[in-house]
Amino acid sequence: MEIPYIVTPRKDTGLFNSKIGIWLFLASEVMLFGGFFSAYVFLRIGADYPWPERTLPVLPGLINTFILIASSVTVVFAWASLKMRQWRRFQIFMGITVACAAIFMVFKLIEYNVKFHHQAVRIDDYSVVEGHLGYEAKGGHGHDDHAEPEPLLDAHGDKIEENHHKVKASSLTFDIVRAYNPWVEDFVAEATAAESKITLAADVDFNASGESDEKKKFTKGAELSSDILASISSAYVANRNQNAAWRTDFLTEAWDQKWAEVKANDGLGEGAFAAEFPKGLELGPDERKLAYARWKGGKRSRMASEVDLNKVTIKVDGKQVHYADIELPEKETVTFEIDKPFTLRFPGHDVIGKYIPEATQAVLRDGTVVAGEYEDSPMVFHYVDGIDFQHLVMIAEKKGQDPLVAIENSWLIKENHKVAELWEKHQKAVGQLEEALAAKGREPTEKDRYRMGWQEIAYYMQTNLEDVQIEEGAYAAPKVAMTLKEQFKGPDYATRMADKGKPQFPHISIPREHVMLDSKFKPKWNTYYAIYFTITGLHGLHVVGGAIVLGYYLFFGRKMYLSNPEWLANRVEIGGLFWHFVDLVWIFAFPIFYLM
Amino acid sequence: MSAHAATADQHDDHDHYDPGFLKKYVFSTDHKMIGLQYGITAGCFLLFGFFLMMVMRWSIAYPHEPLPEWMRFFFSENWQARWLQDGKVTGDTYNMFGAMHGTIMVFLGVVPLGFGAFGNFVTPLQIGAPDMAFPKLNMMSYWVYLAGGLVMCGSFFMESGAAKSGWTNYSPLAGVADVQIVNQWLAGQTQWLVGLVLLITSSLLGAVNFITTIINLRARGMTWMRLPFFVWAMLVTGFLLLLAFPPLEAAGIMQLMDRTAGSSFFLPSGLYTKAEGLLELSGGGSPLLFQHLFWFLGHPEVYVLLLPAIACVAEIIPANTRKPLWGYKAMVYSVLILGFLSFVVWAHHMYLTGMGPVVSTWFQTTTVLISIPSVVLLTSLIISLWGGSIRFTPAMMWACAFLPMFGIGGLTGLPLAFNLADLHLHDTYYVIGHFHYVVAPGILFGLFAGVYHWFPKISGRYMSSKLSHLHFWPSLICMNLIFFPMLTQGMAGFHRRWYNGGDAYLAKSPDSTNIFSSTVAEHIDLNILMSNAAWLMALAQLPFLINLIVSTFWGRKVESDNPWNATTLEWATPTPPGHGNFTFDVAVYRGPYEYSRPDCDDDYLPQWIAPKRDAGQPDAEPATSEPASH
Repeated sequence: MEIPYIVTPRKDTGLFNSKIGIWLFLASEVMLFGGFFSAYVFLRIGADYPWPERTLPVLPGLINTFILIASSVTVVFAWASLKMRQWRRFQIFMGITVACAAIFMVFKLIEYNVKFHHQAVRIDDYSVVEGHLGYEAKGGHGHDDHAEPEPLLDAHGDKIEENHHKVKASSLTFDIVRAYNPWVEDFVAEATAAESKITLAADVDFNASGESDEKKKFTKGAELSSDILASISSAYVANRNQNAAWRTDFLTEAWDQKWAEVKANDGLGEGAFAAEFPKGLELGPDERKLAYARWKGGKRSRMASEVDLNKVTIKVDGKQVHYADIELPEKETVTFEIDKPFTLRFPGHDVIGKYIPEATQAVLRDGTVVAGEYEDSPMVFHYVDGIDFQHLVMIAEKKGQDPLVAIENSWLIKENHKVAELWEKHQKAVGQLEEALAAKGREPTEKDRYRMGWQEIAYYMQTNLEDVQIEEGAYAAPKVAMTLKEQFKGPDYATRMADKGKPQFPHISIPREHVMLDSKFKPKWNTYYAIYFTITGLHGLHVVGGAIVLGYYLFFGRKMYLSNPEWLANRVEIGGLFWHFVDLVWIFAFPIFYLM
Repeated sequence: MSAHAATADQHDDHDHYDPGFLKKYVFSTDHKMIGLQYGITAGCFLLFGFFLMMVMRWSIAYPHEPLPEWMRFFFSENWQARWLQDGKVTGDTYNMFGAMHGTIMVFLGVVPLGFGAFGNFVTPLQIGAPDMAFPKLNMMSYWVYLAGGLVMCGSFFMESGAAKSGWTNYSPLAGVADVQIVNQWLAGQTQWLVGLVLLITSSLLGAVNFITTIINLRARGMTWMRLPFFVWAMLVTGFLLLLAFPPLEAAGIMQLMDRTAGSSFFLPSGLYTKAEGLLELSGGGSPLLFQHLFWFLGHPEVYVLLLPAIACVAEIIPANTRKPLWGYKAMVYSVLILGFLSFVVWAHHMYLTGMGPVVSTWFQTTTVLISIPSVVLLTSLIISLWGGSIRFTPAMMWACAFLPMFGIGGLTGLPLAFNLADLHLHDTYYVIGHFHYVVAPGILFGLFAGVYHWFPKISGRYMSSKLSHLHFWPSLICMNLIFFPMLTQGMAGFHRRWYNGGDAYLAKSPDSTNIFSSTVAEHIDLNILMSNAAWLMALAQLPFLINLIVSTFWGRKVESDNPWNATTLEWATPTPPGHGNFTFDVAVYRGPYEYSRPDCDDDYLPQWIAPKRDAGQPDAEPATSEPASH
């Protein structure tokens, strides 16, 4: 059997199969990306926070746009070369196409990487700080001099960002079933590193009275390990299951008895109704009919309140027993104590509930309760490279407050003299900007007014208040120049902080109770980054997938070229159509994410 | 017909295709085997979904009593201890079963059965193609579908249990469900999304394959207006899947991001839960966006479910009334219009979201419009019966029952189309009754009809007529006993998500003046009727399962390749059709439903019979004598 129209087009449709296939597939792709782009519009229109406009570096995106367009041209040349049976030319053009895809992905990954390492925090008054976190150092934090102290390492040997809930733990209480094993192993490793021991706080015994299975008994002092938790869990679960099975039997028996009792008294009939609800007899016929229906409908519910599994006995092992007689011990949590309390660190997402200063415990996502002393757990920015009051202003305006007063009252300005200085300089610059723009009948945007980006911050850090001066004709706040490398990789901290006398970025330590939301510049930070990563990530996957297919024709197409060059040309044509689509998606994605 | 008796024997030497067991039955690229794989898998999922419903119906009818042994013994002791409370179904468990019942029935049961199984088996045969255009892609569709199904159902055994947020998976409920699970990839709610993305991928591959096959692999002479209606329906279904599913895939991916990457696509600012307090999220997302994306698929999906069933019925009725399908062209245009309109009605599922009256009015208008092509289809089928000499074969019985059942389903939908009436009926049992009338006694009856109709072609044997009656009548009665009271309860205000069937709202005392709780008390006993009917329904499916197995091995053998004396091309193949399907060079000479032509001796003239050259002769020999060229 052979499928027709694989190589040659069908006469009446004029198409070979895979060409129809790819157009259909692209139609579905249009709907897929259409869904995402619609989501972008929906989210942007409905955003209740200042949508980040023109926030990505344009240069790498622009270069990538041209790279993709170029590759769309070369893929056509590659196809045309095949049609003309010029294998060498095909190789060259397809090679360029695949290389373009690779370059595109490299730029993309650099861009992603910068985002993944760039921290942001929303403070509880809705002001936003961006920058880079420091690492915890041996001997505590709080060094303003940006020296490179020896970093503290966790049990895995990794540096620890200064962004954790820190609890000096004295005991751990696990939810026996839900305890998350990798965390348990982390606790054990940290304890070993701290030369401390985590041991069972009290005897735990899952044996029924009279039994003494050693496997179900856990004595005080046993050391924490995932194995012992697993044993405790299986002993507990066995008891829980047995109890549940018994309870089901007892309840079944209780219902059987209840039904027998009800049936003996006319069941759900009118007689039982009259007996239970004598008032019913005084009602008129219609009323009575309704009352009966209500009585009957509610009967099971009332019976249920009288059914009790503790009131009946059933036969277990040949003996009539009550449930209370045979119930096995159950215990849903188990507590371990720590002999020498040591500090455990948790990322905000793992801890449930709001941070309260001087709390004595943290509850983790898997139900584990870490009891002890909450340590000072600030979020420490070694380099602040963005301060943004737009969200704060938006909230203030909603409440009818004066934005500038709200900013003056913000934690950032009140508690950080450095930021207050920067803000003063920025105010001066905005004043000048306002004048300059007024001459043209325009005024500064919200972003101009309330956001200081890294270039502005670097400028203000180096400039005295009296020297602040906006650039003629730039119509923007004053800023330092960006190097070419910085266009791709963001501010070059090493160089810009090197000048000890005039570091270009401030240092801020934010107490944990003021932290409302912290995130790297990842999908979590806001819906803009969420849709940005989703669309560009999916687009990136399409680029990689397309490049793999085109690369396959390039590197493994020779054999097919020799046996059936037309078929290979068809395949390249299909791949090329897909490639154009990938390009087209980018042409939509680039302006909406980078320019608008 | 007589001319074809020989071809069944011919097919053995027709091609020496022997790929070995694994490639023939498991990793097959043959559209017929893939169709069967789809059918069997979907059948298993349907039974599983049915079982989930039986447990739910216990909770609705007898919320205080432990699940009886015959429903409990499927569950391990551990599972019972985790998910039942003293043997009673809990709200959580009910939600889980409800969500998974819907998901399984729609995505894993009916669509794969209608589109995957019937579409795969019948479409290439009916257009005279040797196979699908992309056989390997076809195989991949099946395996991706199976993987998606297993991923979804596997989550029943996880600590979190399976998804519990309804088959519609609305955010923010679905976005924050199972947050207590540290590794979100091991949460049922996340697994649901992963499974969904796989299922959508499978459907997309399938849709591309179907449409390409229908456009490019039609046999010589098979012009568009000679296509059997079945093929038209599959073509439209293919386009619905192709264009409606991707937006849901987008929604699925975004919800997956919400769950695993902490984004807030569908989660508004200030989201607060009892367990966690104010959630640590950026907020700023839109729950309404999810609903739009979901229902952009969700509504066309209804037609993806329906069209294969209506397609089966449209094949069975002409073959068993011995007259052409009435209004073939009108039906073709209607199905095309239906397909188009189904893309612009989605928000009638969302009248209560506060979209605003203008948007509601628009969607109300389009929704009423779409009833026109639906009515044209149904009416054409009913008129097709008119004046026919009906043979009540098993398939025909089911097809005849399909018409009024689907009719009830359709007509009960009208009040829901109007946004004012919907204010009252939304999320009540009325809605459940309405769409189950469409899907269960409607679509499933149509598909049952298809099974009985094409079984002889698949296996070479007839299904037992007695067992079929034993299957049909109890099913018909039980279906109506289950779903009709739902309409009543719904109008009385019973909410579709009450896990205890309204028990919590009962009047405390028989002379209670609380109107609503009195209404509940007056209608709550219907729960018991419906639940018992549902369990009897399960019993009624046993004859069918027995019939399938017994008939496959011991059924009466067919006497010819065309046992129903039908006119479409699938009956021109050997029985069962071999690899490559046809043993002759297929050519088509006429439309698909040439029954009872006055100029023929037989009461049917198949599409593949070459026209007579000489007016004096009876039927000419069909061009079946020469085998295919390889």
